[in-house]
Amino acid sequence: MTWSAIRSHGLSYLIVGPFAIVLAFPFYWMVTTALKTNGDLYNLANVPFKFTTTKGDPEGHSPTLRHISFIFHQTHYVRWLENTVFVGALVVVITLVLALPAGYALARLSGRLGQSVGVGIFLTYLVPPTLLFLPLSRVISKLGLEDRLWSLVLVYPSFTVPFSVWLLMGFFRTIPLELEDAAMMDGCSRLTALWRVIFPISLPGILTVVIFTFSLCVNDFVYAISFISISSNRTLSVGVPTDLIRGDVFFWQSLMAATLIPSILLALLYNSFLNRFIEGFTGGAFR
Amino acid sequence: MLIGPAVLFIVLLVGVPLGLAVYLSLTNATAGSLTGHWVGFHNFVDVWNTPNFRTALKNTIVFTLASQALVVVGAAILAHALLRPFRGRWFLRFLIVLPWAAPVALSTIGFLWIFDSQFSVLNWTLVHDLLPGGGHFYLYKPVNWLLGGIDHLPFVHAGKVDPLNPPQWLGQETLAKLSIILVQAWRILPFATVIFLAGLSSIPAEVEDAARMDGATGLRKFWHVTLPLQLPIAVVALLFGIVFTATDMTVVYVLTNGGPFNSTQVLTTWAYQTGIVSSSLGEGAAVSLYLLPVLAVIAILMLRFARKVEVS
Amino acid sequence: MSKDDELEELGLTGGLTRREIVRKAFGGFVVLYGGALTKTAAAAGVPKFRHKELKNTLRIIQWSHFVPAYDTWFDGTYTKKWGQAHDTDVQVDHINLALLPARAKAEVAARSGHDIFGHLSPQAGLEDSVINHREIVEEVQHKVGKVGKVGYRSCYNPKTKKWHGFPENFVPDPVHYRKDLFHQVGVKSPNTWHDVLVAAPKLKAIGHPVGIGMSNELDSNMALIALLQCFGGFIQDAHARVTINSKGTREALQFMKSLFKQGMTDEVFAWTAASNNQGYLAGRLSLALNAISIVRSAEAQNPTLAANTALLPIPAGADRRLGLEHVMGVYTIWNFTAKSQQKLAKRFIADLESHYAAAFKASKYYNFPAFPKAVYDYRKRLGADNHPPKGKYRILDTIARKYTANIGYPGFSNAAIDEIFNTFLIPQMFAQVAQDKLTPAAAAKAAEHDMKRIFAKWRKIGKI
Repeated sequence: MTWSAIRSHGLSYLIVGPFAIVLAFPFYWMVTTALKTNGDLYNLANVPFKFTTTKGDPEGHSPTLRHISFIFHQTHYVRWLENTVFVGALVVVITLVLALPAGYALARLSGRLGQSVGVGIFLTYLVPPTLLFLPLSRVISKLGLEDRLWSLVLVYPSFTVPFSVWLLMGFFRTIPLELEDAAMMDGCSRLTALWRVIFPISLPGILTVVIFTFSLCVNDFVYAISFISISSNRTLSVGVPTDLIRGDVFFWQSLMAATLIPSILLALLYNSFLNRFIEGFTGGAFR
Repeated sequence: MLIGPAVLFIVLLVGVPLGLAVYLSLTNATAGSLTGHWVGFHNFVDVWNTPNFRTALKNTIVFTLASQALVVVGAAILAHALLRPFRGRWFLRFLIVLPWAAPVALSTIGFLWIFDSQFSVLNWTLVHDLLPGGGHFYLYKPVNWLLGGIDHLPFVHAGKVDPLNPPQWLGQETLAKLSIILVQAWRILPFATVIFLAGLSSIPAEVEDAARMDGATGLRKFWHVTLPLQLPIAVVALLFGIVFTATDMTVVYVLTNGGPFNSTQVLTTWAYQTGIVSSSLGEGAAVSLYLLPVLAVIAILMLRFARKVEVS
Repeated sequence: MSKDDELEELGLTGGLTRREIVRKAFGGFVVLYGGALTKTAAAAGVPKFRHKELKNTLRIIQWSHFVPAYDTWFDGTYTKKWGQAHDTDVQVDHINLALLPARAKAEVAARSGHDIFGHLSPQAGLEDSVINHREIVEEVQHKVGKVGKVGYRSCYNPKTKKWHGFPENFVPDPVHYRKDLFHQVGVKSPNTWHDVLVAAPKLKAIGHPVGIGMSNELDSNMALIALLQCFGGFIQDAHARVTINSKGTREALQFMKSLFKQGMTDEVFAWTAASNNQGYLAGRLSLALNAISIVRSAEAQNPTLAANTALLPIPAGADRRLGLEHVMGVYTIWNFTAKSQQKLAKRFIADLESHYAAAFKASKYYNFPAFPKAVYDYRKRLGADNHPPKGKYRILDTIARKYTANIGYPGFSNAAIDEIFNTFLIPQMFAQVAQDKLTPAAAAKAAEHDMKRIFAKWRKIGKI
């Protein structure tokens, strides 16, 4: 390894390391908390970073898996996970179908019209769900969708599509027109040019939209709590606080575990997607 | 046309409810019904005259700009460091992505526990002897030394950490604001980093090659080539970071619910408090609508800026 | 040259062909989607009739009871039995206490929702969307006797002569204190607030401060309004006029400031509803004003602590001894519910209230019926509880009968009181004084200004 290689790698560790520690610390903390017994957790005399078993603790030895198994056996946790994935996946598809053509068209549309339509789409995004959920509740009930996940599938694109259009616009703009023109001169129709040339190049953009859209869906709280009240039909963000916070008692260990599971799964998923396209492209660009 | 479906969808699902929201803000509707008597701009004036609203407006701007400033700088640095492969990069990137992957309501509840008034792990670490074996090290001592130094700067007043009465991360006004800003920055940082990464990696190879052939390396290359090319993507990241933070209700609601004594209210939580919890729907709608011009101004300014950069 | 090769030249494929990229990307996607699709049937909606044999359906929504056993009894035993007897499938949904207002407003906006909505405080603000519950009240009164004063003043609007909710239960609020610690500092018991002030600095010195919250949450709200009452401070009088700016209020504010400075720590400004529970259960707090959720949790987690905990009515202030209900269970029926469903709902509520003994027991004495005679022999039942020291729950009967007022006492719990409560104006007032941001006089005046505005607003709409 050359000196510059060592230097640049060392620098990477030096920069990325602290960031990773700060960003991931709360999750380490969640793991520790999730495994403690009540007697261990609520004891101010204990060192929080260790597990301490007190004699006579009705929950026995600390660390324990009982609070984690609680969410699987005493709540609809698995259903919530499924519901969240179901809604997220469908919304991603709908968003791509709507946003891809719009993003492309806006990117290619030159002049003031393209800009104002673009800004217009963006501005409608600025109205928060905390305001819209009331009038939308009326719409949902009129359509007979209340308490059904389809209500979320219908409403979520309203905040995923504008963002996705914008992102795709940005990506499509960085693709030089010459590529398309070259393809069309070779005899492709515009549509074929799109499919065979533009589409693969904008894959990073598309995958980014997939990840971001899914993330936006998972994070929504206001619409989910307003449209769905049946516990087994809930999504994760709503089901967890509802069933694991009862009156003035917080089931902290279960709450932490319930947060960790989707976070780790989603982080693995997002990371693999990132891996796929960034590594591939970086390898090429910095040849 | 291609834009048609998207526009139609948005008009229906955002435009119509938005219209209703505007209508509500011009009436004295209570949450008992979705209609009320026309009061014109009375709600907007009334709401503006409430001190809690002005606090909410100020906080929305401060929290958003402060957290996003941290995010943009952090994301830019992090993205560059993550660009080239190195051993363990996959794992470190996984750790970095975690805050963004976690559903925001749930991760904020996690922070509620980290900042807890009695069981905060931060306070425990500050106040207890970290080397009980023989060394005796208390973290609050060097922290207080630092705070004492900061106190000497003009305009800044930093208190001290009292081991018997540790800092209340969510109960003291300044600390609560700081906590909110930090949590917002924490959760948006990975998101912005990914946008930066995607942008950096889509810089076509010819540009890199051309720069190298011109003899530009290191800092010069950064300033004249990478930075300008990055600017449009940075603007997008900043813009969406601002939107996600300013329109977010969850973090403030879960952490402080606007407290202590309504000093950390933001427009979204105050609108919720007024319109839903207090049943004054018309006023709540008016508060929410104040968000629009604030964000619109920021958005338009940034878009103009991005356009200029792109053209050059 | 094929397109693939051209792109290769440009280094834009990273070694994968277009096909491979597309396949891999959507492969992962399909796996996700496919997995989710298999759950479509289950996730798509609620089957209208779970058991085909039952003719009717009744949908109820209420909070997740802090005593999980109550929900198990209610959902699993009581509603099933009632359902069988009335040919009805009763479906119960639960929701977080904090999210009840939003859910209620959403159902109103949607003009569709549950047949019975269970709130945890009187909802005067929703008056226009609910039926007049007079009929149910009268039926139950006919069966078990008059409704208690707390229930009456919480759910009746004297201006519109409408019962805007059915008062189902209320929860008395005792003071929990550590007998052993109080003994240690030489104070017999927190009988008066003065006793508390005497004991507090000594308790704080031995590491066990007292715990009265001053934060934007339910427990703080209740404790501080009750404290105000003990000193003669009231938000309104019997005729709905704002009376907050009074000597009693100023004295209460001054008292709380002294109590905070001498006997509490800064954490009380950051408390959630769980904090006083957790602080007491951790053995740290020596005194807390809370429903019996604290001592019940102690019995499960730390029996020694529970044995050292005693319950008393709220300490007496300079003016009187008077507390508040911790929460009040109110059932409402929306006026857009179908008439046949309304009838069913009324039947359910009346039946539940008229035979309240089982609910009383299932909630571990947390729920007291708003119609006092719906349960007989309170003292005997409370005394039967086995946890040491035996008989300690009997005091709840005294508290429920003599020392529990409604929010808004001596007036009614109207929409303005509701809004003042929900926007935490009282904790705000106390916190500002305790943190030296305002003097008691200034804080009381500022609160009066805010409250008058709220009262004027609701008066204009004709609700007060």
